[in-house]
Amino acid sequence: MKFPKSYTYGLAVMMLTTGLLTACGANDSNSSNGGNGSTETAGNSADGTETVKLKVYAQHFDDDTSKPFDYAVEELKKVMPNVEIELDPAVMDGYQKLKTYAATGNMPDIYFTDWSTLQTFAKSKNVEVLDDYEVTNSFKANMTSGTESRLVAPDGHVYAFPDTGIEFQLLYYNKSIFEKVGIATPIKTVDELAAAATKLKEAGYVPMSIFAKEKWIPRAFYAGFVTREDSNGFGTLDDANVKELPQAFITAAEQVKKLQEAGLFDVNATNTNYDQASALFYQEKAAMFVNGQWEIYSSQEKLGDKVDWMYWPAKDEATYEASKLFINGAGSPQGYAVSPSSKNKEIAVQVASILAQKSAEYRYSQLGSPIVASKTDKPIAGSVPAMMDRLAKEVLPNAQAYAGALNNTKISTSLEDNTQSLLINNFTVEQFVSELNRVLKKEHP
Amino acid sequence: MNKYLGNKLAITLFLLPALLVYSVILIYPVLQTGFRSFYDWDGLSEATFTGLANYKELFADPLLTTSLRNGLIFAAVLAFFQIGLGTILALVCADERIRGRKLLKTAYFIPVVLSVTVVCQLWIAVYDPTNGLINRLFDILHIPYQQNWLTSPTHSIIAIAFVNAWQFMGYQFALLYAGVKSIPEQYFEAATIDGCSKWQAHRHVTLPLMRETYKFCFTIAITSGLGAFVQMLIMTSGGPGTSNYTLTYMIYRYAFMESEYGYACAVSVLLVAISLLATVIINKVFDRKEV
Repeated sequence: MKFPKSYTYGLAVMMLTTGLLTACGANDSNSSNGGNGSTETAGNSADGTETVKLKVYAQHFDDDTSKPFDYAVEELKKVMPNVEIELDPAVMDGYQKLKTYAATGNMPDIYFTDWSTLQTFAKSKNVEVLDDYEVTNSFKANMTSGTESRLVAPDGHVYAFPDTGIEFQLLYYNKSIFEKVGIATPIKTVDELAAAATKLKEAGYVPMSIFAKEKWIPRAFYAGFVTREDSNGFGTLDDANVKELPQAFITAAEQVKKLQEAGLFDVNATNTNYDQASALFYQEKAAMFVNGQWEIYSSQEKLGDKVDWMYWPAKDEATYEASKLFINGAGSPQGYAVSPSSKNKEIAVQVASILAQKSAEYRYSQLGSPIVASKTDKPIAGSVPAMMDRLAKEVLPNAQAYAGALNNTKISTSLEDNTQSLLINNFTVEQFVSELNRVLKKEHP
Repeated sequence: MNKYLGNKLAITLFLLPALLVYSVILIYPVLQTGFRSFYDWDGLSEATFTGLANYKELFADPLLTTSLRNGLIFAAVLAFFQIGLGTILALVCADERIRGRKLLKTAYFIPVVLSVTVVCQLWIAVYDPTNGLINRLFDILHIPYQQNWLTSPTHSIIAIAFVNAWQFMGYQFALLYAGVKSIPEQYFEAATIDGCSKWQAHRHVTLPLMRETYKFCFTIAITSGLGAFVQMLIMTSGGPGTSNYTLTYMIYRYAFMESEYGYACAVSVLLVAISLLATVIINKVFDRKEV
């Protein structure tokens, strides 16, 4: 078959264009810091000082995220009246939008993000290292005790100013259902929890509602049992010398499997989302619920005095007593970070610090949450939910250890996949161990 | 007309804008994906050339086996339900003696215009092991076949593929119906005179003459199955564990959850290669004279 010359020319032009574009795109990794049009000097304020407009990418989608942010912005106006905040509301997309901003060199001046994204941004120089700023030292000095790991990254650098302290998961339970069914509290051992699950199921309740369609929650549930055996929790798996799953993790997997087999979870648990799981608990169809300590407000509001939280059970009472104050939450860095390409970087760093501190102030003074990164002089304004009060008096001052952070994404993702699988029939502990061992060997050669 | 067609320069110039757009939106990303698949790249930092390392890792990745198996199952379910059932329905609707054909044609196409999210939510409710329609129906009929449709690591992929098959069967039906209607009536008359029954006529006349239509339908069904993603994302988030992963889900995981864009590009290249291979095989099979 013979192609006319003009077709050949056309095809050649097309291929040439494509080739050029491909080659042009090959070096775009360096252009991510190329430009930033987000910061503006907007004009002069009433007192004659120059007004600075800063774009802030932050979570602002519900009361828990919007109220602390709005409060912080109002407080910022009192301290830095020349700064105007332009909010770019974050979307729940695993920070993909933020990464797209970084890839296109369009970073906001300040952004709120997690440790995983901060690591990527640190490598690609899309986050300002805050170590040498004066404001960092004053932030560090004002932190609540035990929360330093929220600010200082494992590599020793400061990338973001955190607002919350070290968050962790709780087992919530409905006291009136427990009384009705005749389950004694506190539940201290896994065997007791398995027996309770059987009793609750026989009484027609879902023993524990869990939104395991979101893989982080079965992972967090499993973390609770690991922490009973090893106070460092998942942090242990970050050690390059760990090439096989330690016994603490195997024991915890056996415990989760035992509970699953005892019928602790609904058959559709791995396909249940938060709305469905929380509805089961709040409509008193489920006796227990697992979520972070932030659920205290909703649960107290919906169930009043009927709800309380319990410590994670352990293999026996002695282990329970010895380890109940090991906290399953890990303090990885997160918070308000600053883009190195901001035109008003110095001001942005100060603003990021204030936003974090004032947001923490709101959480403490308005919500009564003691789980904040910074101290504040403001007293608690309203009534504190009884469960939060218990947490503040019983756990936080007496916490013996916080779990270590797991920074390896591959191991973390594998834990999520396999802990979710533990909640279904036909997935054995042996499969769990074998899969985790495979990943550990690969990641820690 | 010949004057215009003879002017090759004009043709080239007129085609060039379209070719350029095509290059930018299709060929360029494909080439970039191939190019990036040889790099260790997190999507933001400077990429490091690693040669075939991503491909070596990919072929040793257990997720690949799961994803390929699921892709093939998905494609088989689509081909079976969409084309098999679509053919029967097309033949039924083409029969002028069938009453209510217009209504049936419209009804078959309705799911196609629904949002995938809506359809998935609908089927999540249908598949619910406790209150779902299917298990309830079995319960009412005293059939002891209660299933956890979406939480079974082995069978949930079939349940999910069926949702896609149900939704887009109307599309394949429309193609097949158009194919049936394009066959001249005289062929059937001749077959009937030769003593063929209606179904024999379809077997010996309709189906062989629809070879081109089937070629297209199979290509669409198989490549859609191999690249399926949305239904798993909405209905099971790829779980339990990774049991519902397909190649596209792998790409999503490695690119957006683990920031391994280079590796995700290698998976993309494999997906394109497999889809092309499937297309070539389908073309070869349907181009054979004896079919």
